Amino acid sequence: MLFMRLELRGITKRFGSFTANDAIDLVVEPGEIHCLLGENGAGKSTLMNVLFGLYNADGGEILINGESVHFATSGDAVRKGIGMVHQHFMLVPVFTVAENVILGFEPTKSFNRIDYATASDKIRKFSEEFGLEVDPDAIVEELPVGIQQRVEILKALSQEAELLILDEPTAVLTPQEIESLIKIMKDLAASGKSILFISHKLKEVKAVADKITVIRLGKVVGTGLPSDSEEELASKMVGRSVNLQVEKSPHNPGAPMLEVKDLVVRDERGVTVVNNISFTVNRGEVLAVAGVQGNGQSELVEAIAGLRAVESGTISINGVRVDNASPRECLDAGLAHIPEDRQRDGLVLSLSVADNLVLNTPRAPQFAGRGSRKLQAVRENAERLVKDFDIRTESVDAPVGSLSGGNQQKVIVARELSRNVDVLIAAQPTRGLDVGSIEYVHKQFIRERDSNKAVLLVSSELDEVFALADRIAVMFQGGITGIVSPDSTRESIGLLMAGITEQVNV
Amino acid sequence: MSENKPSIWQRYLSANPVTISFLAILLGFIVGAGVIIFSSADVLHAWSQIFNSPGGILHALKVTFDNVGAAYRAMFTGSVIDPTTFWHALSTGSGWDAALTPLSETLTYAAPLVIISIGVAISFETGLFNIGANGQAILGGIAGTAFGSMIHLPMFLHLPLTLLCGIAAGAFFGLIPGVLKALTGAHEVIVTLMLNYVVAFFLLYSLLSTPLQLPGQANDLSRVILPSAQLPTFFNTATTLRVNWGIVIAIGVVAFGWWFLNRSTMGFDFRVTGANPNAARASGINPKKIIIYVFLISGGLAGLAGVVQVDGTTHSLDGGFLIGSAGIGFTAITVSLLGRNKPINVFWGAILFSALGVGGRIMQAETGIPLDLATIIQSAVVLFVATPVMVQEIFRLREGTVHTIQLNTKGWGS
Amino acid sequence: MTTVTTPVNVIRRDTPVGRTRVIGGIMIAMALFIMWVFAFGASSKATSIITFNPLNTSGGAPWTLGNLTVPSRLSDVVLALIALGTGIETIVRIPAKRVMARFGFVSVLFLLGLFVWTVRSGGPSPTNFIDLTDILVNASGITMVLIYGSMAGIMCERAGVVNIAIEGQFLGGAFVGAIVASATNSFVFATFAGAIVGALLGWVLAFFAIRYRSDQVIVGVVLVTMIGSLTNFLNLTFLTPYQQFNTGVTPNSIPIPLLDKIPIIGPLLFNQNMFFYLMYLLVGAMSFGLFKTKWGLRVRAVGEHPQAAASVGIRVKGVRYFNTILGGAIGGVGGVAFIALHGQFNPGFTSGLGYIALAALIFGRWRPAGAVVASIIFGLTSMLASGLQSFNVPVSSEILGMFPYIITIAVVSGLIGRVRAPAADGIPYKQD
Repeated sequence: MLFMRLELRGITKRFGSFTANDAIDLVVEPGEIHCLLGENGAGKSTLMNVLFGLYNADGGEILINGESVHFATSGDAVRKGIGMVHQHFMLVPVFTVAENVILGFEPTKSFNRIDYATASDKIRKFSEEFGLEVDPDAIVEELPVGIQQRVEILKALSQEAELLILDEPTAVLTPQEIESLIKIMKDLAASGKSILFISHKLKEVKAVADKITVIRLGKVVGTGLPSDSEEELASKMVGRSVNLQVEKSPHNPGAPMLEVKDLVVRDERGVTVVNNISFTVNRGEVLAVAGVQGNGQSELVEAIAGLRAVESGTISINGVRVDNASPRECLDAGLAHIPEDRQRDGLVLSLSVADNLVLNTPRAPQFAGRGSRKLQAVRENAERLVKDFDIRTESVDAPVGSLSGGNQQKVIVARELSRNVDVLIAAQPTRGLDVGSIEYVHKQFIRERDSNKAVLLVSSELDEVFALADRIAVMFQGGITGIVSPDSTRESIGLLMAGITEQVNV
Repeated sequence: MSENKPSIWQRYLSANPVTISFLAILLGFIVGAGVIIFSSADVLHAWSQIFNSPGGILHALKVTFDNVGAAYRAMFTGSVIDPTTFWHALSTGSGWDAALTPLSETLTYAAPLVIISIGVAISFETGLFNIGANGQAILGGIAGTAFGSMIHLPMFLHLPLTLLCGIAAGAFFGLIPGVLKALTGAHEVIVTLMLNYVVAFFLLYSLLSTPLQLPGQANDLSRVILPSAQLPTFFNTATTLRVNWGIVIAIGVVAFGWWFLNRSTMGFDFRVTGANPNAARASGINPKKIIIYVFLISGGLAGLAGVVQVDGTTHSLDGGFLIGSAGIGFTAITVSLLGRNKPINVFWGAILFSALGVGGRIMQAETGIPLDLATIIQSAVVLFVATPVMVQEIFRLREGTVHTIQLNTKGWGS
Repeated sequence: MTTVTTPVNVIRRDTPVGRTRVIGGIMIAMALFIMWVFAFGASSKATSIITFNPLNTSGGAPWTLGNLTVPSRLSDVVLALIALGTGIETIVRIPAKRVMARFGFVSVLFLLGLFVWTVRSGGPSPTNFIDLTDILVNASGITMVLIYGSMAGIMCERAGVVNIAIEGQFLGGAFVGAIVASATNSFVFATFAGAIVGALLGWVLAFFAIRYRSDQVIVGVVLVTMIGSLTNFLNLTFLTPYQQFNTGVTPNSIPIPLLDKIPIIGPLLFNQNMFFYLMYLLVGAMSFGLFKTKWGLRVRAVGEHPQAAASVGIRVKGVRYFNTILGGAIGGVGGVAFIALHGQFNPGFTSGLGYIALAALIFGRWRPAGAVVASIIFGLTSMLASGLQSFNVPVSSEILGMFPYIITIAVVSGLIGRVRAPAADGIPYKQD
């Protein structure tokens, strides 16, 4: 089969009483790059999982070149020529590139043995054909993320995909890598492949799409063209006009609160992931750490929060040294921490909202005495915070896991801000949130800054960085390539994110 | 939430923990009945003859029910109440000893089981699997027996110190897997399992080759705990009623367990660690410390259980102490799973399984069906409790609040 | 109904450097022990005889090795020095690889030192020679059972299902194996029967673990207890009255012509019962299957990253069912092999061997060859307990009996180094 025209008719998918996809129609023509635009939680990923045979649809049909098909497993979808590049790569980390690419479609010799020679040849051939250079014998977990993504694309192509689904592929890439991905996509489209590109980032969508379908709350709310303005697309996506610009007073920094000096941190494998970093966050300012995910930001935050050992260098909070301190000591020194992975590090999903709101202060004198907890006080605290921070929950006794993502994040924000300490560090605080929650969280951060707290924000979303930062530190491969003013251009920051440091200093 | 609130009846028939537990127990007894049927020559013979006579099926059914019925009846009368002796006591006003003996026995055996199960429940609630409770209890028993039989002190000192010895020995022995896990990441399941075998050998060693052995004995028997260290019984020792202060201690431990898990700050740390170890660390809890504390507390309670058993009931040790059919430690695991780690429920679970064990002995004596049936029933119950979805499907229950039990220690890595 | 799954890595790993130092320290301690206790525990005039000829074979072998008479103290001093050197080398150089191999080497030296010491002339032992071949042959039985057990475990865990129920599969296989072997006098039939029962138990584990996503450790432990008590129960109700079904038959050894005459290796590897030869096939087939074939690649993918496997159309649950059932069958055959070793069925007579097999597969890093090496080490330790008693070693048999278990604990707690289980091992797979 060459060239594919894909049509989705009335696809509906429900989870219990929640309708994730409601009668979605979509057509992708051969050689077309079709963008599916929608904010987090709009139902994009669900739709793709239905299309890829990972979920069974509750209604509607999928047509390929006019013929109705049914995918019971993703294997069926692959056989029909659909390939998917997942947001979380579907690669076995301990396998080689070759093993990952051939998995499920292994060439064999006698006795069912895998024919690795044929496999490697095939991979080299595809690498050349599509300009995707990889070493077939490299172990996947040892490759940088950008290359892993290449393996993912190669895998799909080697399975003779005519339609490629790319699910939020740019989240892990530098602006330059994004450029090269866009080029790859355009080349593929020119050779007749159809591409379904899923994103919530307007700029990329406009740069790459031939056609745009916008979905909101599980429904198609409109179509667009790359020539449409960003405002137009944004309002379609969100359903109202959005203003991601946050009002804030002029930058007026006070005394230094968080000081990091010559910090070196290693990861589990002994690789230096934070390399000789120094910076200061002052009262009344937001210092944003920008950079592509995986350049040491997470480890930097973990080191400050006491979750990761410091190899050398110092960290002090309000004058107290906390390098290699325990998390408890960091918290006591006056640190509020909004962790990157909220469900892993920030919340205990099976415990109640009330318990989660005192998760790191269970022994504070108002909540406990003589080894016993004061449950009444814990409840009252929760009632108050739920009201103040507009947390939507059935009751403060409901398990926090029953809340939506945005409200779970509000629980963490409420807990950390209510501790009323001087330094706030937040890692990717709005990842996966809907626009309403993002606006809310941003407002809270600015309020903190304006009440003279020091805020360290780590984000890989440049929009967020520009909206909140008073100064921007850019990280690349564990080092800081520059600390610049938010008036700098996107391009100059993009260069810093790629490690190019031609003197941009403020 | 407001739309069509389920009626009380519907709530009973939903997959809530209480309903699931009851149905799991029911299924456990059905499995036990199956084992009786397939191991009874009479029953199998009757079924093989069903086509030979017109009433064959009825006869076969009758034989089946007679066999199963006899077994379960013996279990019940042996552990709860025997209507005959009870009626006799009621009508004549004498013979109360015999009428109350089954209950007394059940409570006697329940006391250590309750204590050890609370310990296991605390470890489960923290996401750790203490299979070593058996060994910890045995060691507690050995230490208590040594102190209670070889040291002479007035009772007000001797008894509490004997109990304390048991707690200390159990806690110390719990420390081994705790420290190993905290420091090296050794999986506690393998370590505690191996330690159980080590303790079994140590028990024999101490009964055969140390001064703890009853003087003048060649067999594996220990000295007898002195009266000044024994837990007093409620009734005078001339009766067959052995129920003693152990059950009061057990109730105290339940109260402690309830306070600890639901009200104490340390218990909160335990629960947070059990439910999400990463979040625990990020919110300032030191998981290594918690692992060690858990095993200290869990081991200490197991040790207390061991000493309560020897101090209140047997007064001396033999080579089979607390090992029995599957071992008290295993029963404790089943009890805490059945009670879903809630101390009050664990208490009732322990009473039930202790009745099963006590009744099983009577059943073995009366019908010749081996006591192991009780363990089979217990394992089946736990299998069903650990798999609520299956029970829900078998009885077509509505979706409910119960969820599958998962430990947080998956895999084997450090 | 929600399934609470929590992430795995709680504790940061110690640096391998620290761990290597600990292992080196243990080696040095063992060296010093050889020196103090064994070397200086023997008089300078004592001699020990080491022989390699099995006492029970006739002298018809074309090749034989002579007896070796060595001075006891001097040999132990030499052994101690070699051990000390290895230990110091480990601590000083911190080698990146083969730390465990070094440890194994020192352990062997330790055993040799122990043997030389126990059989020294003038010592308490009734004989003053040690027959190394005999020792190895004695240890080979338990080793074989452990290998079956660890293969049973690897089969399941490579596909992501923790098989902690090996002990139960042993007991179930042994029970049925004893009956069928007694009734038919054929261990081939017994093997099939054991495999079927083991497969059934594997299916039960798979059913709860895969279909209901129950906690695999809980299900495994409960299954062991259930099978333990069920076999106790049936032993009393069935085997006790009908003893003709538990006669204690054992299979004959099948010598492989010529090969069985090679010193040491011959009696050890080529004059054994059918379960040994089956084991060679099994280990070979599993090493080949898991690491060379399409099947193996898919199994490992399912055990490492089931979502990735599913995304290319591999039926994750199917693979897991298949492997868990197959693993159970291997465990069941291991039980029959144990009966072949032991003769009669006795309740609970596997006494934790299934768990030691589990430790062996972890120690062997989920690789068949590694598990074989680990099983040999554990097999030797188990044999020690019984073997040393015949030499009248002044340690009570109860203390010696603890040995294999303590070694197992030592191995799982520090000596493993950094093991890396299949990433999805023990984690229920959820398909929406």
